[in-house]
Amino acid sequence: MSTIGIIANPASGKDIRRLVSHATVVDNNEKVNIVKRIILAAQGAGVEKIYIMPDTFLIGYKAKEDLIASRELNIPVEILDMDIKGSIKDTILATEIMEKLVVGCIIALGGDGTSRAVAKSITCTPLISVSTGTNNVYPELLEGTVVGMAAAAISTQTCDIGNTCRRDKRIEVYKEEVLMDIALVDCVISKQTYIGSKAIWKAEDIKKVIVSRAHPASIGFSTIVGVKMLVGQDDDFGASIDVNKGDNNLVAPIAAGTMKRIQVNEPIIHPLDEIFEMKMEYKGIMALDGERELPFKEGEIFRFKITRNGPFRVNIKSTLESAQLNGFFMRNKA
Amino acid sequence: MDLTNDKIIQMYKTMKRIREFETNASTLFAEGRIPGFVHLYIGEEAVATGICAGLNDDDYITSTHRGHGHIVAKGGDTKYMMAELYGKETGYCKGKGGSMHIADATKGILGANGIVGAGHNIAVGAGLSAKYRKSGQVCACFFGDGSTNQGTFHESLNLASVWKLPVVFVCENNLYGISMHQSRHQAIQDVADRAVSYNIPGVVVDGNDIFAVYEAAVEAIARARNGQGPTLIECKTYRQKGHFEGDPANYKPSEEVLEWMSKDPIPRAVAYILDNGILNKEELERIDQEIIKEIEDAIKFAEESPLPSLESIVEDIYTDIVEEVR
Repeated sequence: MSTIGIIANPASGKDIRRLVSHATVVDNNEKVNIVKRIILAAQGAGVEKIYIMPDTFLIGYKAKEDLIASRELNIPVEILDMDIKGSIKDTILATEIMEKLVVGCIIALGGDGTSRAVAKSITCTPLISVSTGTNNVYPELLEGTVVGMAAAAISTQTCDIGNTCRRDKRIEVYKEEVLMDIALVDCVISKQTYIGSKAIWKAEDIKKVIVSRAHPASIGFSTIVGVKMLVGQDDDFGASIDVNKGDNNLVAPIAAGTMKRIQVNEPIIHPLDEIFEMKMEYKGIMALDGERELPFKEGEIFRFKITRNGPFRVNIKSTLESAQLNGFFMRNKA
Repeated sequence: MDLTNDKIIQMYKTMKRIREFETNASTLFAEGRIPGFVHLYIGEEAVATGICAGLNDDDYITSTHRGHGHIVAKGGDTKYMMAELYGKETGYCKGKGGSMHIADATKGILGANGIVGAGHNIAVGAGLSAKYRKSGQVCACFFGDGSTNQGTFHESLNLASVWKLPVVFVCENNLYGISMHQSRHQAIQDVADRAVSYNIPGVVVDGNDIFAVYEAAVEAIARARNGQGPTLIECKTYRQKGHFEGDPANYKPSEEVLEWMSKDPIPRAVAYILDNGILNKEELERIDQEIIKEIEDAIKFAEESPLPSLESIVEDIYTDIVEEVR
């Protein structure tokens, strides 16, 4: 049976960056609409069952009820039976459950933070990350119908998964040999000392940025590297750069609509699996994929490693191209 | 954001002062020493504290029926507040207003308000006044999730946006309108979503995290002062007590209460202060004792104050600003 899982984060896209920058607003009712489009496209393209994470806004229930009311739902849609906490734990647990159910593909709606939460527990299930968050680098802005079709092509194995899905990189943060946390795109070392509103936007407080990928067309702190050098998804290296020191002055899009002049030194390339160490010379916080998460104290030593242990990400375009070549869209005459 | 240790200590003191005031008000009400109704702010201290910490002394606030916390945070005197709760002549309203009408214009406190949703339009008026006078003042408007279904909320956000008024709308989403859970009275989860209808920024913050509230407040207040107009900040928080004192609150699931008790804003602030060496345990204890003493003094002041005289019953009913009633 071909199945897919949908995780929609009701908390994404509402943080303080709507106040300190000009970040996108996606309300939860639009997330319900996106989920409905995914369900309909997946159903129309051959998926036989869909699992959805329960959430505090009832996105899954609302989508399901609307489609039942409009008599458009022909396949079972099951909301996972799990306690909800209204936190990142829901996403992590739902991912684990969906993997146990061996769904063919997981779709995550949210921002970089949501994708990072999925990445904490996903292993080999192909992932489609759909942007409904803030300054997203990892998730893509995708139409729900396209997402549903691609997920169906993956779960029905009508495309060449080996060529259309790619294991992503991630940044692993260790303290005393213990894996403390991960980031999919960037780890920002900041002198701020509290987590507060989580988002990070003040370049003055930043000391260092570590990236698994970097491009000027992204938005966020990874672009501080990206405007100096490109680090692609397929490159077997990441990079780091010291901020607020050095001889290079540049301008980077650190938030939506925010071009910031920043002083940096030359970026350092870090090959995959190389361990590099940092002894903290001050108290501060590490922001992972744009969210302040990991406090540290002066004198503590952290080790970083960029690996290819990230999610098995679906390339939407090549998936649909491969599916089309394999007759995915062909049907028998009625 | 520049947040000094002194500022953090000041914010801790404010939260602790609110908690101590409210805890005592609860006991005094149960003992029958406070007449009327009291609606307590226990659990929501970080919201009023974080917002007011970003305001200037001459900025305004509007409040609600659950207003003690706002008034303490804006610098209200706990002696006169307690006397007002007791209905004594020395109270903020000379003992005639009680808990829900405390005001102090000298501190920009435009009044607690017994009518749900009545503060929004007062805040817009204050914002209009500040803009008209070019005074640079800002008004922070506190209200609950329930009031955002009132017409006044929508009318006020609309007008404040059209006229780019210096108002910061602060929704204290404590999950309940009286006894009704938010999910039963609104088809949205985040009140901040409503901001987009009025073309203003709407953000959600952890209302039990003093730093998260303060960060949002600083940005929204700066925006208002710069002439960029209003902001809607939704602070996710929790009313640890019932709607009013005496409400058993048996409509709240025990798991929910336990979960939110674990997110109590004051222990979270204490943990940060100790972890970062801002104060040690002895210094914190000394602050706590000073605040306990302050509230004991406020209670003593209230108890020893006289009740209003019978002759004063018709005083302060009409203003003499208007010619016809002078």
